[in-house]
Amino acid sequence: MSAPTTLGPDLGAKPVKVRNRVLSPPVSGQELVLIGVIVVLWAILAFATPAFLTSGSILPLLAGVAPIAVMGIGMTVIIITGGIDVSIAGMLMVCAVITAKTMVGYEVSLPVIVLIAIGVGAALGAINGVLIAYGRVHAIIITFGTANVFQFLGLQIFGSSTVNNIPRTLSVFGAGPAGRTWGIPHGFAIMVVLAAIMWWYLRHTAGGRHFYAIGGDAHAARLAGVRVQRRTLLAYVITGAVVGLGACFTIALGTATVQQNIGSGRELAVIAAVVIGGTSIMGGRGSVLGTVLGALLVQTVSTGVTQLGWQSQLSNLFVGVFIVIAVGADLIRQRARRKV
Amino acid sequence: MTTTAPAPAAAPAQPAESVGSRIIRAILTQRIVLLIVLLLAVVATFFLMDVGGYLTGPYDSDYMAASLINLVPLVMLALAELLVIVSGRGGIDLSVGAIVSLTGMVFGLAYGEWGWSLWLSIILAIGVGGLLGAINGFLVAYLGFPALIATLATYYAYGSLAIVINNQKPISTKPIQDLYSTARTVELPLVGEYLPNIPLGIFTFMIPTAIVVWVILARTTYGRRLYAIGTHDTAAKFAAIDVKDTRMKAYVLAGIISGLVAVVTVAQFASARPDAGASGNGMALPAITIAVLGGVAITGGIGRVAGIILGGLLIVWLNAGIPLAIEGNNGPQYQLLALGVVLVFAALLNGLTNRKYGGSK
Amino acid sequence: MTQPNLNKPGNPGPGGAPDSGLARLSLTGISKRFGSVRAIRNADMVVKAGTVHALVGENGAGKSTLIKIVSGVESADTGEITFEGAPVKIASTVEAMGLGIATVYQEPQLFAELTVSENIFTGREIRRGGRIDWPAQNAKVVELLELIGLPGRYATATVGSLSIAEQQQVSIAKALAGNAKILILDEPSAILTDAEIEVLFTVVRRLTESGVAVIYISHRLDELFRIAQEVTVMRDGQTIGTYPISELSVRQIAELMVGGILNDARTERIIPDGEPKLVLKDLGLTGKFRDVNVTVKPGEIVGLYGLVGSGVSEIAATIYGIDHADAGSILLNGKAISPRSPRHAQKLGIALLPANRKVEGMFSFQPISFNISAGHLSLLSKGGFIDRARETKIAKTMISRLAVKTPSEKQPIGAMSGGNAQKVVLARQLVERPEVLVLAEPTQGVDVGAKEEIHRIITELAEEGTAVLVVTSDLPEALRISDRLLVVRGGTTTVEFGPEATQVDVLAAAAGAVDEKGKAL
Repeated sequence: MSAPTTLGPDLGAKPVKVRNRVLSPPVSGQELVLIGVIVVLWAILAFATPAFLTSGSILPLLAGVAPIAVMGIGMTVIIITGGIDVSIAGMLMVCAVITAKTMVGYEVSLPVIVLIAIGVGAALGAINGVLIAYGRVHAIIITFGTANVFQFLGLQIFGSSTVNNIPRTLSVFGAGPAGRTWGIPHGFAIMVVLAAIMWWYLRHTAGGRHFYAIGGDAHAARLAGVRVQRRTLLAYVITGAVVGLGACFTIALGTATVQQNIGSGRELAVIAAVVIGGTSIMGGRGSVLGTVLGALLVQTVSTGVTQLGWQSQLSNLFVGVFIVIAVGADLIRQRARRKV
Repeated sequence: MTTTAPAPAAAPAQPAESVGSRIIRAILTQRIVLLIVLLLAVVATFFLMDVGGYLTGPYDSDYMAASLINLVPLVMLALAELLVIVSGRGGIDLSVGAIVSLTGMVFGLAYGEWGWSLWLSIILAIGVGGLLGAINGFLVAYLGFPALIATLATYYAYGSLAIVINNQKPISTKPIQDLYSTARTVELPLVGEYLPNIPLGIFTFMIPTAIVVWVILARTTYGRRLYAIGTHDTAAKFAAIDVKDTRMKAYVLAGIISGLVAVVTVAQFASARPDAGASGNGMALPAITIAVLGGVAITGGIGRVAGIILGGLLIVWLNAGIPLAIEGNNGPQYQLLALGVVLVFAALLNGLTNRKYGGSK
Repeated sequence: MTQPNLNKPGNPGPGGAPDSGLARLSLTGISKRFGSVRAIRNADMVVKAGTVHALVGENGAGKSTLIKIVSGVESADTGEITFEGAPVKIASTVEAMGLGIATVYQEPQLFAELTVSENIFTGREIRRGGRIDWPAQNAKVVELLELIGLPGRYATATVGSLSIAEQQQVSIAKALAGNAKILILDEPSAILTDAEIEVLFTVVRRLTESGVAVIYISHRLDELFRIAQEVTVMRDGQTIGTYPISELSVRQIAELMVGGILNDARTERIIPDGEPKLVLKDLGLTGKFRDVNVTVKPGEIVGLYGLVGSGVSEIAATIYGIDHADAGSILLNGKAISPRSPRHAQKLGIALLPANRKVEGMFSFQPISFNISAGHLSLLSKGGFIDRARETKIAKTMISRLAVKTPSEKQPIGAMSGGNAQKVVLARQLVERPEVLVLAEPTQGVDVGAKEEIHRIITELAEEGTAVLVVTSDLPEALRISDRLLVVRGGTTTVEFGPEATQVDVLAAAAGAVDEKGKAL
């Protein structure tokens, strides 16, 4: 280091002011647009249905956004590395059924049950991670395969029936009064805290930045000394862990019953939230904040559609349209930048 | 710029390779050979278990023939995936199940409610499927969307429309119910008495589709262009091929096949159901699984119809045997396990052969 | 030819650092084979601390391979490497970096989405309490950026938003951020403007003053005199010698590079008189080339010789409709055309043999017949179906006409040698005899025998009346095959040579020392 830095007598004289961060602004253009869209939607909904801007409507919305957003935190990391995980529906099911059966069968405290769920999720994520990082097979194929295996595991544990009479241990994450402190749903608060931690980690630590480097150019990252395989494995383990937490939230939001279809379709919903949030499916770019906003937008749409008295399935049409708009806007921006 | 690696070029020239290692290499590098070996192994295992009395029901040719009813939609959609995955640039279509749902509803409305003739309704289904595929193709080929994202979006949009188009209600009027007869099994003329009865859909839909796709891929100039852009789209551009147009058409064809599957599904259920293509695991994931198992390279440019059909047969006959071999009603779960394990195994094998033999092609 | 003393201790060079003159890196008897190709034979080189050591040679002389061995990308089959007096083995890029050997490649290995600061420190971030210490890292980055002549505020810009030249400067900064004792610059000036080269030289001088040894690879011989103290010349995988640069002239270096190889006796061809087939008139594309004037008659072979970055390859791409000119015009048979796409160009009767065979030419795991017919699917189409009999027939004809060595037309092209693969890609351009054939680097990475044959085919094609334009950075080839040779320098056609030109004349002209022998256009 000494050689170059001691050079040039004219250098030290007037130090150039550089912002202490070396990153893009904390809130990107896409995120600002998303915030704008959400605000406009909320305004329209408040105008159209007076019931919307009441705590009876907003609080369940926030509680409901937690599972998708919390799982999106992990999926964002995976997609930043250039991978994908379509097995989280199966993972969610395994975590949920193990958690539910444990609660039914044994008297366990809240921390223990949450740890069990997270541990199971992380273990399943590790299976994906090992196969993808060390088997050198494209993530989508491996996770299509493990999705089926996880489904099998989940159904085996279910034993061809639903799990009923689940104790209310997890109600602190629920949509009811027990799930709130000072009016804030606990699940939502936990999700926000985790998202903030991950946001900081991705922006300000070497490990976090390496995820971006891997997604940008895995080969160059390896040449620069990044441990690509370990990092990749970690991304899938993180996702497994947050899926475990997402399973707790999902159980809490439901009734005292866990059905076999508990995870069904969740993998695509989470990917949709991540993509709407501006994370590039090609890897190397993205943020957790965007994902949280994406999840919030999706949840707002589905709440709004219900409250307007439309058919609830119509919300998926909007989700599809939002994906096209979000990704299309990003494509246009990139094309414009390349021309400059 | 290193000169081309000598290893792959030298490999075929090795003089004395033992028969054993030649066979192993054929199994590892020729997907068709591997699938045939696996297929024989599966069928032989279940036959032996049947003879030994370990199965709860007979695993004979009649049973295997009847199970082929599941092969029809699976193979047809896998053929659709074959076309789009071969087109390269991360080609994939997550929306096929949603196209099946939406087209099935439109077909149901036309044939069951508006009183269109069957042929006209089928043509409508083809048209609607092709249009929905064209939307995918336009997003991917002309606007440059990653295929995974574009078809994820249309998966949501089409699936949603399928549900709202008839107020969440399935259509099962008289004409639709009568379609069920087309899903029956038939005895083949001439040789039929020596063979088990085979589901009609195999002959009316699956085999014609497979033949058409095979002809397109292996015999037409369009198929050539498709393999060319999938192998390497820059080289295709330099070879004066219209890359965008060629890629777009792959999605249109996938949509058309999905439209036909919609007709098959309506007939099979005797009802046009708004969630036909989305129930359970959906239809796209098993179709992609069959395609990958059949040797279609996710990176494009490689894939054959024979692989799809063998992959489909393998899964269907494996799935047919599992419920007989497993006590209780856990059979379907083990089918999932088998599907997942076989897919991961096939994918890891691809990775291995790529390193060891310079690719399975 | 003057033969300066070999390996004479060089001048310390202007403003040598205290320890300059000591051997920092010595290579002795290095050899490397790739299959049957001997890329390097018995190469020797001594690089001294605090100096700029130029490494020159024609394309394929073995420069890149030698550099790859030093930087740990490849390992030598035989020979010894001594670093600061001690023998070393360099088994990987990480080991090379550990020794302080930093390489800046032609293509920057950067992450477009990350900032300059992050790129420079990826893998060796300055950390404090678990997080990256942005202020400390930034301070270093600003110093480095100023050192290499970039504004300090670039530290927070994403690399993707910088120009190619700036990205390359960032690559240099990245190389310096480690404790670089040897800095290898692989053709750093190829993509830079004159002003940017000035900045680069200033940086390089400062580095040598502080004791860094720089290995500098360049085709622009003239610039070596402004920056290097010593020069090692390579030819056919061998090092010819190391000389103090002050003892040589551009012409002498060119002579050493070309060696004793005489110009092949080319058979004098008679070009039929006729109206020009292809005319490029004041053709220009902003930032790439300008005022390009070329005329090709039917049956004529015109060479366009230029170094990497001179704009030659873009001229070829423009004729074929990949790039689009924004000034001047292209005339085909006297009529102005503007090819929109390769498809359009092909319809007009223009064919292109692409320069980069692997990226632009080959469908690697597809068979030979597939590769040949790919450009002619409408010709081979009978009502939408491939006429497979005809396809096989064409493939077989082409295989025998071009003497492609293969057991059958069903072999995949990816498994073939470079020369054979190139013949197959060339065969694609010959199926329908084009009116104009543009060949970009027709024999790059091709062995000598195949090269001969490719030249023969090109000549035959011209005999049949095709107007041929050969765009090449391979000088012997350009001289051997062209009826007329135009030198492209700084994005424009400069000097024209007839068949009597020698390699030295042309090399000197292209390298910037315009010589009285060249006839100005």
